[in-house]
Amino acid sequence: MTMGDDVNEPGSEGFAPTRRVVLALGAAAASTVVTIRPALASTAGSVLNCEIPIPEPRSAGQYIDAAGNLVAPGTPGSFPPLGRPLKGEEVKKLLAGGPSPAGVDSQAAQAYANYIRRLQAGMSGFTCYASLQMPR
Amino acid sequence: MAGPAYIADPPDAVRAVELDGLTALFHRPSGMTHILAAPAPQILAALAAKAGDAEAILARIGERFEIEAEDPAAAIAARLAELEAAGLVRRA
Repeated sequence: MTMGDDVNEPGSEGFAPTRRVVLALGAAAASTVVTIRPALASTAGSVLNCEIPIPEPRSAGQYIDAAGNLVAPGTPGSFPPLGRPLKGEEVKKLLAGGPSPAGVDSQAAQAYANYIRRLQAGMSGFTCYASLQMPR
Repeated sequence: MAGPAYIADPPDAVRAVELDGLTALFHRPSGMTHILAAPAPQILAALAAKAGDAEAILARIGERFEIEAEDPAAAIAARLAELEAAGLVRRA
């Protein structure tokens, strides 16, 4: 981090205050995260119909390990590519900890979920993933 | 009681700016910007490239802060669920 060099407020620069301060954790129902909607947004309908290939076509054939990394086919503990792209609706449920998509076992589903969480701008499926993160 | 372990991206994957008690955080891997209120930034700092469950998070935050909560474990679990939904932490 480069910012905060000239700031001495508690909580700045790595969130490390110079003196111990009280940190209220809040009630379980309180909300502490708001995501700003980037310009990728489309309508709710199209978001739920967008698709995420696992893995993206240029990595076709690679397996996905439990952490969501692409690995060589047959790597122990990894899972084969999903034969079909996941629909936005399925991804949304999967990332929310819901049931695995039809025909996918739960360990593989978790690996795919981690793969999706690691998608970056420019990768196939990223726009769909980013759109799914939008608060309604 | 501890629940699942989580991990956040390393500090160089995010750009954080403190704004009058709130933190604006740009998450480079996703290109998304989030506004965080305490204790979310502190939880992210505690998990940056270092996996931990709720108990470990409380211990790490407790090194720097006096924690105030009726049920710390439940509050941390709720915050982790939010951070996971926002894509800022993932299960380790």
